[in-house]
Amino acid sequence: MSTTTDIGSARTLPDDVVIAARGIGKTYGHVRALHDVSFELRRGEVVAVFGDNGAGKSTLAKCLCGVETPDSGHIEINAQRVELNSIRDAERYGITSAHQDLALAPDLSVLENMFLGRELIRSGWRGWLRMLARGAMAAKSEVALAELQIKLPSVRVQVGALSGGQKQAVAVARAAMWSRTGILMDEPTAALGTRQSDVVCELIRSTADRGLGVMVISHDIPRVLAVADRIVVLLHGSVALRAASRDVTGRDIVDAMVGYHMQAEGS
Amino acid sequence: MSLPVSVAKPVDVPEAIPPTPSLPRRLLSSTASWVFVIDIFLVILFGALSVNHTFWTVAALEVVALDSTTALILACGIALLLGAGEIDLSVGASLLLASVFGGQVMIDVASSGTLATALIGLLVCIATGAGVGLFNGLVVTRFRVSSLIATLATLGIATGIANIVTNGTDVTGVPVALQNDVGIRDFAHIPLPAFIALAVWGMMWMVFRTTRFGLRMLALGSSRSAAERSGIRVRAQLVTAFVIVGVLAGLAGFIDLTRFATTNLAGHQTDALAAITACVIGGTSLFGGRVSIAGVLAGTLLAVLLEDGLVVVGLSPFYQLIAIGAVLIAAVAIDSQRSTGSLRLLRR
Repeated sequence: MSTTTDIGSARTLPDDVVIAARGIGKTYGHVRALHDVSFELRRGEVVAVFGDNGAGKSTLAKCLCGVETPDSGHIEINAQRVELNSIRDAERYGITSAHQDLALAPDLSVLENMFLGRELIRSGWRGWLRMLARGAMAAKSEVALAELQIKLPSVRVQVGALSGGQKQAVAVARAAMWSRTGILMDEPTAALGTRQSDVVCELIRSTADRGLGVMVISHDIPRVLAVADRIVVLLHGSVALRAASRDVTGRDIVDAMVGYHMQAEGS
Repeated sequence: MSLPVSVAKPVDVPEAIPPTPSLPRRLLSSTASWVFVIDIFLVILFGALSVNHTFWTVAALEVVALDSTTALILACGIALLLGAGEIDLSVGASLLLASVFGGQVMIDVASSGTLATALIGLLVCIATGAGVGLFNGLVVTRFRVSSLIATLATLGIATGIANIVTNGTDVTGVPVALQNDVGIRDFAHIPLPAFIALAVWGMMWMVFRTTRFGLRMLALGSSRSAAERSGIRVRAQLVTAFVIVGVLAGLAGFIDLTRFATTNLAGHQTDALAAITACVIGGTSLFGGRVSIAGVLAGTLLAVLLEDGLVVVGLSPFYQLIAIGAVLIAAVAIDSQRSTGSLRLLRR
């Protein structure tokens, strides 16, 4: 087993699995999207999930974050079997997701987006009127961004005015802020240029280094391989390759994605 | 830390947005300020053109204030919905229905004294508006009918009911005491209804500026999917907003009734469109996410100043319709120029 667990926390054990799928299957009509897939994500590690279109990557992520319920098998969070029926359910267990469509409101400021749906309210009569504690939210947003070393001109700036990379950074920071256990990221670099993708990958690494488990679905093999601890390749809804990332090359992953070589190396 | 990370490198800066502009610059770039400038220009222009400068008299400006009240209250409600990317075409019909019910009840209870009559009438008007708003909200959220269609239907339904209940003739005989005590009463030359409208406007400003409710309205309009994903109870939020708009329409109905001591069955068909126009001229987006409450006041005043000013200088008030149409096109054209980027730096 290869995990980089040098974050110095007593809770960080090699088997500190935050979220796991145990032999899950999912069928849409006649399409078998997932078949007997097992997956584990540990504290402090980045696991990359690769696969061709339709291999089942997104279905796996949806099952883990409560958007879909698996037909067979089950999900465990912190070694407890759970039923996830909504994103809210997953969030209650500390699992958040940063999604392809970003899920940010462009007209709102960074701090408003970071707290959307979980706004802080002032105390006293202002609280009765549900008045926002913007100062407190700004301070907390700044701390959350600083922890990931994300620099923005101001947390009061509109998200719509940010670059693609900055938006993705805000989405990741929001997911990290509300996550206690794990983060699922679906194609975090899909819409980004080369340099911005590098920046987001560093961000993925630093998020995991804070002690969260990070699952990354991506087509960007070389870049994500460089920051991942382990990789999982899906093919036709099943696991085709499971390996420590240092034991595989991009070529091995591509081969596994198209079904050339089914032999897992390493691990 | 196993990796030294520096996420935002100095090279990132060219992509970074410019720092928040200073207050004077923001004022210069805001649509609302420019509309206010036009408002002041119109006061000067019509004053200079009117015989004996009658437009500059307190009496004339009092009429402007009074004429602005119901329009401003309705526009505040519309702004709330536009923030969420929704619309209400039925506010004029809702106002009318409220004034019909309120008027009839007030005639029935007129013997119980002016204050009691006024309070009962106000209550009936607001309840009627709230009912219409609740209906709109439920149709939009439960039956998933777009608010454009749902409220277009309500516009017809409420207008129909108002005409059936009254047999198509206006409710008259509302106690005249109400006119003097409420509808046209003034304090220091400022009409009471204008105070009420300004209070509504101020409250709406607070809602968007400081409250979670206002923020969530904008979130709904900015990205419905982001709002849903973040766990905001979208349906409840929207129903509440439609009810608030209904209550405001009911309040406007009460003011209209006490000002004229009669209903106006034929006079409110374009109220909703006028309110939407005032919002959009002032810089509120039709597509949600961006609201300018200052612009609502500026836009409302623009329409009223044009209408009243043209009358004072002896021109047909119908020119107002043409002028407002032209301003509306100009405002939206400038706005879409900004959002496509050519004036990006001026954007707030």
